[in-house]
Amino acid sequence: MFRFRLDGSSGVPPYLQLVHQVRQALLLGYLQEGDRLPTVKDVAADLVINPNTVVKAYRQLEHEGIAGGRPGQGTFITATSSPVPAQTQQDLRASLEAWLRAAQEAGMSDEAVTALIAAARHGMRKERV
Amino acid sequence: MAEHNAEGSVPALRTDRLGRRYGRMWALRDCTIEVPAGAVAALVGPNGAGKTTLLEMIIGLLEPTEGQVAVFGETSRAGTAQALARVGYVAQDHPLYRDFTVADMFHLGRAMNPRWDQQVAAARVDALGIPLRRKVRHLSGGQRAQVSLTMALAKRAPLLVLDEPVSSLDPVARLEFMRDVMASAADADLTFLISSHVVSELERFCDWLIVLASGHVQLAGPADDLLAVHRLLTVPRAVPDAELPGTAIHRTDSDRHSTVLVRTDPVQLAVQGHAGWQADPVSFEELVMGYLQRPSAATTGNPAPAAQRPAASAKAVTR
Amino acid sequence: MIWVSWRQHRGQAIACLALLAALAVYAVIEGSSMRTAFSNDGLVGTCLARTQGTGCENGVGAFMGEFGSAVNIAFWSVCLIIPGLIGVLVGGSLIARELEYGTWRLAWSQTVPRTRWLAVKLALVTGGLIVLGAAITAVIMWYRAPMDRLTGRLQHNIFDYEGLVPTAYILCAFGFAVLAGLLIRRSIPAMVAAFVPWLAIRLVVEFVLRPRFLAPVTGPMSARCQQPSVGCGSGISSVPQATGHIGDWVLSMNPGNLVTYQPADRFWPFQCIEAGIFVALTATALGATIWLLHRRAAWTALSPAHRARPRAGLRSGRPRGGAVGGDGAVSPRRGRSRWLSRRDESERD
Repeated sequence: MFRFRLDGSSGVPPYLQLVHQVRQALLLGYLQEGDRLPTVKDVAADLVINPNTVVKAYRQLEHEGIAGGRPGQGTFITATSSPVPAQTQQDLRASLEAWLRAAQEAGMSDEAVTALIAAARHGMRKERV
Repeated sequence: MAEHNAEGSVPALRTDRLGRRYGRMWALRDCTIEVPAGAVAALVGPNGAGKTTLLEMIIGLLEPTEGQVAVFGETSRAGTAQALARVGYVAQDHPLYRDFTVADMFHLGRAMNPRWDQQVAAARVDALGIPLRRKVRHLSGGQRAQVSLTMALAKRAPLLVLDEPVSSLDPVARLEFMRDVMASAADADLTFLISSHVVSELERFCDWLIVLASGHVQLAGPADDLLAVHRLLTVPRAVPDAELPGTAIHRTDSDRHSTVLVRTDPVQLAVQGHAGWQADPVSFEELVMGYLQRPSAATTGNPAPAAQRPAASAKAVTR
Repeated sequence: MIWVSWRQHRGQAIACLALLAALAVYAVIEGSSMRTAFSNDGLVGTCLARTQGTGCENGVGAFMGEFGSAVNIAFWSVCLIIPGLIGVLVGGSLIARELEYGTWRLAWSQTVPRTRWLAVKLALVTGGLIVLGAAITAVIMWYRAPMDRLTGRLQHNIFDYEGLVPTAYILCAFGFAVLAGLLIRRSIPAMVAAFVPWLAIRLVVEFVLRPRFLAPVTGPMSARCQQPSVGCGSGISSVPQATGHIGDWVLSMNPGNLVTYQPADRFWPFQCIEAGIFVALTATALGATIWLLHRRAAWTALSPAHRARPRAGLRSGRPRGGAVGGDGAVSPRRGRSRWLSRRDESERD
């Protein structure tokens, strides 16, 4: 059964954290189409958070088309996003780590790295359009 | 699972200009709030703010001096069986008869509440590992809290009022208690009203917020919406409140800059774009503390109290 | 609700039963020896019937010496406070305990209106005390039966233990204590505050009013008593009394050989009158308690401000010493009883 985490100090509202975690899990292959998400009660009890928050998160997922509720049975993943295969993930991660090491050696700070990535993404989006 | 803010559904709790006077002092005045069914609402405020007075009027232990209380649409005179049946109550420090065994307490519940559900009670303590035959005085603080909560749940009332339920518990017991509260809220379509001193932990539990100070409601509404319409502005010190967008709630001045909690329309704020100004989203804690330290326009009309000392730190203390 | 009342007073009930048992044991032991002595000084039995005590002075003297001694009298004088103690111990904590320990918030938020809660409790406990009082009285009356045939039952220290009045004393002390408990909100002070007036009223009724319940009779002294050095007169140990009739209660001896007294056959009328006084006081006190509790359903027993813990203001993650501004600044004044109320039990944990 999929388990959520809650980061109390991140400043991100709890329901958004839940939504992100489901999206991430989908991307990484930890959740697949047809998987059942834990019940609202289970999540509320597990994380000790307001069940309405969980409801909100699940509704958001429904709204985004990622998950859907089946009456009497629970909430199931409906999205069929193709997850990145594990091997590809590993390779990408290895090259990312190499790049990060190079950036560090070049003297870039973490913030500068983040800014660089954001700028590059921005540039790529522009290209696509 | 209860709908949050469902249109047309009867609110779990609605008070209408509720007030209570003791002698010539008003402990609570002009309190008009609403809590929707299925919400977990937080009632926050310092001592002497009127929290317990408000809770007792909601429970039916205290008769209002003015105004009225409607629980799920029904108003009854305080102290009558109808009023008492609608609200489950866990008082501060979880009073129980120390001499009684847990089974005796449930027997009491059964004898004094027509809608008592013995199975729920027995199942809960069983799951918690609390033996029925043990005397209350031999239970730990956390176990006593759990038994008190069990009694309130087994009463089968749709609205549960918890008066500072965790302030006397150690952190582990605290977590377990709230875990049960959250599970019950999910399970049984209950509405909770929880009063608390400890603001920092409330954010994860509550979706409805009521801030009480000086006998008046300072802020009330859905937590998410309230957080969305407030911002923490950092502006140069010279900028007066009047030039700020929205309503300034609380301001802290440093040497060169001021931090101001404002209530504003976010769209309007985005338009303003001043140099040297920064707008940050506000945390639950900052929101509540700001309203509590606000030089309050609303007072009970009582003779001027001793000058209110602001809390030691205006900034929220993060955990 | 009946079960709840019973369960809450179960301990007290057991203690009272134990007390009763102890008393019964004592009574049986002492009472048997008294009966033996009475019939052994067999003279005394038959003698009394014939001559009202004249002619069997020795037997009477011996018996009274053994069972009517000063020690005995002193003991039973002290025991006069016991009905009062029973009453205040049971009544003082009835309401006050709930208020002291904060369990009123539990008891009065169940689906039973608080006046009904109180009424059932009072009914049950009062009933129990009546049964207890009757049992104690029965035991004592059985115990004292031989003695009563010599002294009669109207006199001090005897009257107070027989008939209806012991129960009435208990009830009155109980009623006062319950009312005091509601007003003072603490058990022990309530018990004291109830006991003192109870005792005062007891003494006043016994020594001032009782001799005058019905107009005393004045009559001639018995012939026997007019001769000097014959041991009759007034007082508990005088057999017979100065009137020459066993059981009369001599109030005073007047010049001209006249005696002012209450005749022995006024025992039951006096019992009814005195019991009536104390029962009326009980009813008033209990009625006032119920009425006050009902009226004061308009305010809870403990005003909000005193509930403020000294340390807690508004905690924002870290506990602070000292109170945040609002604390106490708008505390409503409730009057002196606020300061007598105590915070909940957890402070004492």
